[in-house]
Amino acid sequence: MSISFPSTEYFEALKAQMAANEEKFRRLGFIDTTFGVSVGVNGKARNFVLEFEVFDLKNVSEVPAIDLKKVDFQIQGDSQVWREMIENIRRNGEADSAHDINTLAHFGERLKIVYDDPDGHDKLYRFMESIQEFFDLSSKLEVSFN
Amino acid sequence: MAYLSTTNFAEDKDFIDKWLYTIRTGQMDLSWMKSATEKISPEEANPRRGLTYRDLNVGTYGYTDIPEKVRNNRSYAPRGAEIPDGVPDAQPWVSRKSELWAFNTESYYEEAVSRQWNATTDIPWDRLDGVELPEVTGKALSQLMTFLTEVEMIATDTPAMWLPRLNPDFIEVRSFIAAQAMDEARHAEVFRKRALTTGWGLMQASPINEMALKHLRDADSFSEMSVALHLVAEGNVLTLFRFSEYLSPTDVDKKIFRLVMQDEARHVGYGMQHFKYVLEHFPEKREVLHAHLDEAENISFAGAAATELTEAFIILAGGGLKKENIEQGIKITTQFNLKQMQEHFERLDKCGMPERRERSKLYLMYEMGRAAAENAGIKLN
Amino acid sequence: MAFYADKDYTIDETVLQAAQKVMEGNLGLHWYNAKTERLAGRPSDPKRGLTYQDLNVGSYGYTDIPEDVRTSQSMVSRGSEKVGKLPDMGYVVNRKSDVWSDNVAELYEEVKARRWVPATDIPWTELHTKPLAPELEMACAQLYTFLQECQIVSMDFPSKWVAVINQDFLEQKSWMCAQMLDASRLFEVFRKRALFGGAGLGRASATAEQGLKEWLWADRYPQGSVSINLSLAGFLLTLYRQVGAFAPTNVDRKIMRYAMQDAARQTAYGLGQLRYFLKHRPLEANGMESYLDLTEHALLGLIGSPELLEPMIIICGGGLEKAQVDKGRAATAKFIKLAVREYMERIAAAGLAGHGKRSKIPAMVDRISAAA
Repeated sequence: MSISFPSTEYFEALKAQMAANEEKFRRLGFIDTTFGVSVGVNGKARNFVLEFEVFDLKNVSEVPAIDLKKVDFQIQGDSQVWREMIENIRRNGEADSAHDINTLAHFGERLKIVYDDPDGHDKLYRFMESIQEFFDLSSKLEVSFN
Repeated sequence: MAYLSTTNFAEDKDFIDKWLYTIRTGQMDLSWMKSATEKISPEEANPRRGLTYRDLNVGTYGYTDIPEKVRNNRSYAPRGAEIPDGVPDAQPWVSRKSELWAFNTESYYEEAVSRQWNATTDIPWDRLDGVELPEVTGKALSQLMTFLTEVEMIATDTPAMWLPRLNPDFIEVRSFIAAQAMDEARHAEVFRKRALTTGWGLMQASPINEMALKHLRDADSFSEMSVALHLVAEGNVLTLFRFSEYLSPTDVDKKIFRLVMQDEARHVGYGMQHFKYVLEHFPEKREVLHAHLDEAENISFAGAAATELTEAFIILAGGGLKKENIEQGIKITTQFNLKQMQEHFERLDKCGMPERRERSKLYLMYEMGRAAAENAGIKLN
Repeated sequence: MAFYADKDYTIDETVLQAAQKVMEGNLGLHWYNAKTERLAGRPSDPKRGLTYQDLNVGSYGYTDIPEDVRTSQSMVSRGSEKVGKLPDMGYVVNRKSDVWSDNVAELYEEVKARRWVPATDIPWTELHTKPLAPELEMACAQLYTFLQECQIVSMDFPSKWVAVINQDFLEQKSWMCAQMLDASRLFEVFRKRALFGGAGLGRASATAEQGLKEWLWADRYPQGSVSINLSLAGFLLTLYRQVGAFAPTNVDRKIMRYAMQDAARQTAYGLGQLRYFLKHRPLEANGMESYLDLTEHALLGLIGSPELLEPMIIICGGGLEKAQVDKGRAATAKFIKLAVREYMERIAAAGLAGHGKRSKIPAMVDRISAAA
């Protein structure tokens, strides 16, 4: 059954996949960060807050706006870019070098990282391998785009 | 006492102009492409083991061919790189291979990196729930753990002090020391954590053993430091870990001692190999090392008065404070003490210092102790 | 500098008598009722295990370590009972604000959990099955030669200081041990990458090394930390992200992803330490500003080093053709700007909000980046 992106169902599905692949995430180590995902859709944004703790995604919520003081960082991007990334992941089993989070966000030209505190920003990189593996779990889902 | 670079790059017009020119035009010097360095084609000897330093032990990049005296590199350049004019002096104190080398160092390092364990998650702390040791056992265990957590960090601080003093060409040794530092921090951590889970907390410090730590720390040379730390002290501690595993009152403690003894054995391995190497390649050091061992053994004698450790051990070995427990505990502790000394001299023998027995007052004590033990019916295998 | 015990214990009757007494079954048990706090610590989250944070309790904890540690110069474990005559280990760093960071225990636990193994976690054989064009491989080898120099210094900084820092700061010293291993692991992966690709090592960088030595040889720990853990680590973090984004092979991408994790942790400590230092010793702000005024130029020595700049242009552009070099210079100019912007952000976030206006670096870098 196809899951719509963006939606809490999409992130909940990734959460379930993460739990099913616990050993892999355990091996990567603790992931302790709360970050926002903002998807621009027709001039508006849909915003999600993902709360990771220990080895799991603990909580997913959709919010009207992301308070940068309450998250470590936020990944912002137009729905086109997110779609391109997810489709790339589904085609290749994982993001290729042009479509991983680091590459897309590096100069802030496709995805943009916003943050209140540079310390929070750096958490994206402290947990990069886990965060990338998390998004790469999209390869196991049927995703549709509105 | 700070160092200042030979140039202030913010005021170096030539440097900034060249940089601007490169970015503006794309014109590059590219002289580094003609570096006078070796091209090699290494292979993974064993794909299951992955790519190791041993696979890269080729030509000028390898460790086998590091000369006895490193004369061409005192900078932060990695071994085998082209070294241009203008690099600073890293001020290494040790540029002589026999002062620090050991056969197999690179393998000890690779093993250390692949066998890192985590005191937080690899010990089944939850299995302590509901476990209530008798007061006497709990306190004795806490005292043993207090001693161990107190002494472990010396094996971080002391070799780490030497790390930046070693010529960067000896990268495998430096890396081994870095791994050892992490091993010992983990040991200090796991013993502290165990003491703080017993219900008794930490117990009493050990002044006599603190003196031993001071001696380990303040050595005149790397080799002296290594023989006292890696060979003598860690050799003794390895025996202690093995006995402690045997005496462990819970399976959590057994797991702790099994894991720490793996790391310790690696450190002792390096110590033995280095000791062998220095005796073979720098024979002038033999007497210096004897003198250092004289003092190390003097402090071992003092250690006999560290009764907070001996008594805790007796209680754990015997299982309590009743007369029959203490008798059994003394028997096992005697075996342990003799075993420590026996293995100490075996190591020295194997590494090429068999004459140590004739010189050592500790060996005399060992022989007397062994005779007395045998008279008392205590066998040492 | 050798230490000799206060007497010849081999002939000391009191020692022999003490030992004999115990081995005859007369236990003194002077330690049995140690005057220490009782504690039965347990993991607050079983999934996470038993952390240092779980044991941050009472006299054992780190929160209540005083600013000035005057009562302990030995290796006695924090919270245990001190008895008898204890030696002085010669610690010269005894002020908490000189070394502490509120996140240090968390970072120590994280570094252990997120360890990796260069020998086996990198798919090395891919380098041989899909080799790069020679100029690209040489650029990679040169970049990785430069990165090895940076890691030698990164390893030296914590090892230089750890033995002279008071043992009461156990969690922070443990973190420094983890830093040493991180640096040796990064050195290892960079060296392996440079050599396995077949181009050999490149040339060391005199400008980079001069700057690195100036940072490494700071005469106080907080200054050295801001240089190595914030300036250097922050710069390397941006560099790893850049190379990861333009990685010519999957091997390089994988390496950079691991490297950025390690560098980000180090930067987090560097930022946290500076923040703590300035919060607790606000009068030191001027001194720190002056230090940065004097030593910040070393960042230029690193970034502008031809041994980094030129291979970076080639890697980001994909080669030496004019169009590739043009692409590479544009990307490199952006990298330079990004690295300096983030450096200034971190310095400001740590408590030196006005530093960006005072520093010569941003204007210089703007000029350089605009040249592209």
